[in-house]
Amino acid sequence: MDVLDLARAQFAVTGSLHFLFVVLTLGLAPLVAIMQTRHVISGKPVFERMARFWGQIYVINYALGVFTGLVMEFQFGLSWSGLSRYAGDVFGAPLAIETMVAFFLESTFLGLWIFGWHRLPRWLHLACIWLVALTAYASAFWILVANSFLQNPVAAELRGDHLVLTDFGALLTNPTLVFALPHVLGAGLFVGSFVIIGASAYHLFRRTSEWEFFVRSLRLGVVGALIGTTITVGFGYAQFGAVGLVQPGKFNGGPAVGVPLGFMILIGQLIQFAVMFGLTPLLFRDWLARWRWTHPLLMLMTPLPFLAAILGWLVREIGRQPWIVYGRLTVKDAMSPGLTPGMIVGSFVAFTGVLGLLAVVDYLLIARTVRRGPAAATLGASGRPPAPAPALIL
Amino acid sequence: MDILWLGVFALLLIGYFALEGFDIGLGMLLPVLGRTGAERDRLVAGMAPFVLAGEVWLVAVVGVLFGAFPHLEGEVLFTLYPLVVGLLVSWVLRDAGLWFRRRLDGRAWRAFWDGVLCVGSFGLALTWGLALAALVQGGPVLTPLGVGYAALVVGVFALHGRRFAVWRLGGPGRTGRALLGSACLAAIPVAVPLAVATPWLLDHVAPPGTLGVLTLVVLPCVPVMVVAQVWVWRTFGRGAGVGAGAGAPSFF
Repeated sequence: MDVLDLARAQFAVTGSLHFLFVVLTLGLAPLVAIMQTRHVISGKPVFERMARFWGQIYVINYALGVFTGLVMEFQFGLSWSGLSRYAGDVFGAPLAIETMVAFFLESTFLGLWIFGWHRLPRWLHLACIWLVALTAYASAFWILVANSFLQNPVAAELRGDHLVLTDFGALLTNPTLVFALPHVLGAGLFVGSFVIIGASAYHLFRRTSEWEFFVRSLRLGVVGALIGTTITVGFGYAQFGAVGLVQPGKFNGGPAVGVPLGFMILIGQLIQFAVMFGLTPLLFRDWLARWRWTHPLLMLMTPLPFLAAILGWLVREIGRQPWIVYGRLTVKDAMSPGLTPGMIVGSFVAFTGVLGLLAVVDYLLIARTVRRGPAAATLGASGRPPAPAPALIL
Repeated sequence: MDILWLGVFALLLIGYFALEGFDIGLGMLLPVLGRTGAERDRLVAGMAPFVLAGEVWLVAVVGVLFGAFPHLEGEVLFTLYPLVVGLLVSWVLRDAGLWFRRRLDGRAWRAFWDGVLCVGSFGLALTWGLALAALVQGGPVLTPLGVGYAALVVGVFALHGRRFAVWRLGGPGRTGRALLGSACLAAIPVAVPLAVATPWLLDHVAPPGTLGVLTLVVLPCVPVMVVAQVWVWRTFGRGAGVGAGAGAPSFF
């Protein structure tokens, strides 16, 4: 492997790790917000327990999304300084907006939500989780604006040796963006719902004492999965037309694109049918929760949406090779001049070693949190005797 | 507009040093100020609600570097390559220490992640010092001046962390003014190089079209950002105690 291959592999590994975690963040945030909303409206304790338990899983998962995201943000400058030199005047704007308008607010509101249980008035605390979900969606939007520009560099013209931004509106209506955004958000809901379905099936199969809790969770998960799979698959097929117009031959790039594409479609399509014609009808009289033999199948299905999500990204990114900015700048020309094998090997080992280990630890912690069940959730535990909480002023 | 975005960049960077400086400082001092596991729990619980709202300032700094100074982004980060890698690894380790330390109950588990938190915090302070010195000198990443500067950053962050612990958890000299003073001290190591670099930054600012778009989208959100940050300090500031009977925060 030469320096270019290593730099590409580093970006692919950190990018895939990042997406594994953020796709679940995107899916769980609105579902947790819905649970908490139902608690605030109905006052039923089961919904608060659901928001705390699934919220705890959301928070443990969020950590790795941040760690990998930090490395992604800096990696552009480390390995691909040619990209910012050539296209930074266009590509930099959506990334800057994502960090300031979306991630800045997402993390700040998440901190308020995590530490604000029993401190903030309940409506304001509820607003925090909705703002977290909203800003997470905004993050996805701006990152996809930037990525879509790489796929189809609209809104820019060449001046001298670099691109300048000419039409911001065109950047936001890029045909490679408008179908991909719902596809990705749908995939998030798909993944998040299946984590809830799989974990609920585990507890129902083990016949733990939390029957009502996991029956309700399973129902919400199946409804989420129905919406998520329909959006994902629908906008997935809808993309073909638009992508074919601006990136002709993207999907004919040989087995490197064809195999992941075919496998992803197989997973997405099969699960969509299973949800639509199997899981959803079985919500009638809670048959799905009562039929114990279905639960191992549901558990086995849980990793498949993650796999499909990664395969989808591989198709999108491998399909634009050898270009980093499609038709304008090659990946090779975007690599930082002067990048040595020592530098890239050193950073590759450091980043993938640390992030890989932390990812494994994080998944083990999530698995353990699922296994121990809602009674052990510490997020939002009151930690004080059940006395009225002191009124806090905003 | 050039001046506006230079100001935003400077404000975010200085804000990062003032607001994350105490988290990093407290992380470094964790074994000193917290001899027992329970003491360390209390110290971490004291800083935890501020960490998420503090570290986003640096994420925004790099975003603005990319958006408003795109031709510097690659140049600066690549010139400092080994330091940026070290800073990122330190940052990730510090955060992992915070996120993971209370996920399991064992004492060895918690002590391990407390160690990671401390090492990561030191790594952050040291790489910042070396990086700022290297930028000002325009030279190699490891120089005697750089080592001295790194020691200075470690020193002011430690002081800032100490003052924050006193302000949040109680102790002699517990005033907001003392904390504000150490925040200013923590910001000086970055404010001075920033002032020196102002003409260089202005030379590399993005064209008006790009800055116009950034202004149009970001400016309406600034009030929300300010409210969110103020809200964090109002909610978790002094008085919203973490002392006995108040209940430990639910995470970290």
